[in-house]
Amino acid sequence: MLVTGIKSKPVYAPLRADIRGRYHLMLGLGVGGAALLRVLGEMQAAAPEALGAARVLFVPGAAGFSEGDAAATVARFKELPLSGVRVFADAAALLVEFKSVLDQSLMGTRLYVAGPESFIGRAMQIALQFNLNKDEIRAEELGAPARRVYCIHCRAVTEEVRTNIVSCVDCKRWLLVRDHYSRRLAAYMGVMADAEAPGELPQVREVFV
Amino acid sequence: MSEAQTIAVEVTAVEEITPLIKHFKLAPVAGGSMPAFSGGSHIVVVMKGAARVHRNPYSLLSPPHQLASYEIGVRRMEESRGGSHFMHDSVRVGSRLEIAHPVNLFALDKIARKHVLIAGGVGITPFMAQLEDLRGGPVPYELHYSVRSPEHAAFLPRLLERQHGKVRMYYDSEGQAIDFDGLLAAQPLGTHVYTCGPAGLIKRVIDTAQGCGWPDSHIHWEQFSAPPVGDAFDVFLARSRISVHVPPDQSLLESVEAAGIEVPYLCRGGVCGFCQTGVVALDGEIIHNDHFLSDADKSKGKSIMPCVSRARCKNLVLDL
Repeated sequence: MLVTGIKSKPVYAPLRADIRGRYHLMLGLGVGGAALLRVLGEMQAAAPEALGAARVLFVPGAAGFSEGDAAATVARFKELPLSGVRVFADAAALLVEFKSVLDQSLMGTRLYVAGPESFIGRAMQIALQFNLNKDEIRAEELGAPARRVYCIHCRAVTEEVRTNIVSCVDCKRWLLVRDHYSRRLAAYMGVMADAEAPGELPQVREVFV
Repeated sequence: MSEAQTIAVEVTAVEEITPLIKHFKLAPVAGGSMPAFSGGSHIVVVMKGAARVHRNPYSLLSPPHQLASYEIGVRRMEESRGGSHFMHDSVRVGSRLEIAHPVNLFALDKIARKHVLIAGGVGITPFMAQLEDLRGGPVPYELHYSVRSPEHAAFLPRLLERQHGKVRMYYDSEGQAIDFDGLLAAQPLGTHVYTCGPAGLIKRVIDTAQGCGWPDSHIHWEQFSAPPVGDAFDVFLARSRISVHVPPDQSLLESVEAAGIEVPYLCRGGVCGFCQTGVVALDGEIIHNDHFLSDADKSKGKSIMPCVSRARCKNLVLDL
């Protein structure tokens, strides 16, 4: 199978505070909020003044994150002496604001992203347009591992893919989901699974859960 | 780099542009064009003096799109070991020199959103070519150029003509100094800073940028060290099985070359790491003068950069 051992598959690590940065911009979705609270706690211990240069953009409503947890997470952000906390209804709304914040941001900014990979990927896509590099971005994967899949035949993106084989949202071809990841597209490559022998498909299994 | 790969050039113009800096044009003896290069590249000029051969790195300052000849600027060094004095005193129009192909160890970042260039004195030379690469492009840039006094402002007329509105001058003589904090604290995301000039300037830029939270990958600098003069010492080359004496005013690399042993090199200024050589045995200390090895590697004493570093010892054995 051509889905393993591909180096472009992103590797994430637990977020750590980087107090060499002068400004700290934090994006979280759902359970990712817990990772941001952990980093803010680290920061408070190591360099309390850094909290005043930290800004949080957060989407509390997400699958697998209860309303109670969401409300508690937002409340804890608001207790801290941060330079700002903004709450959004969904990832798309957060990312619009994120882009306009980057437009006003200065060198010395560190970006922290915590949430599902599909969220991290779309945030990275925007960060790359601002020439932020690996020294300036930290990301921790938390939440559902469902993938965004790019159809290499019709270029449509199928969201929330949990299976090894998926039908393209647009052209309906059966796609094999590879580990081959595009940072530019923030998606995994999907290639037609039954091109050689139409209708002959490997067993469809839930693998990204 | 070895002598077989050099290009024979003829000096077609020499101009004294400041009390310390001479400007040379070098055209290929064989005719045709010089090899293409990108802004920030340097060449090594091989000067065959009466007593010895000098090989010095100089940044190319001519526009990269203009390849009929190369231009370099040479500052007369007070404590010259001979190279810059040779260029100033013995090289004139019609002189022939050998040069090595250009190498770029100081390239512009291709996806930067803004470039801030900071030059001190003769450190303007690599920026002259980089500015031509940036000119007319979509990415914003600015040059901050600091010199002792107006008469020392090399290439200023060309800068003002070609880079109108992009150049800010600072004259020590008029008490003007770059506001490093103000400059580096207020740059948009995706900015890269580049600096070339005296060691103090480079350190100031690096320290200030780091203090403002810039990651190292956005900070670029180039400084070719001239090989410092030091005490004489002797070295044994393990593979060649010969002893070589290194006199006070000659580098280890030059001494080994004079003994007929070729060592690969690119910059001869302690920057590129190409001439890194293994130390087999040592009964004293290495005086590391390069900008390439990490402090940890320097203290291990297992490697030396023979272009600029020396030793204080009775017995040094190298893997050459």
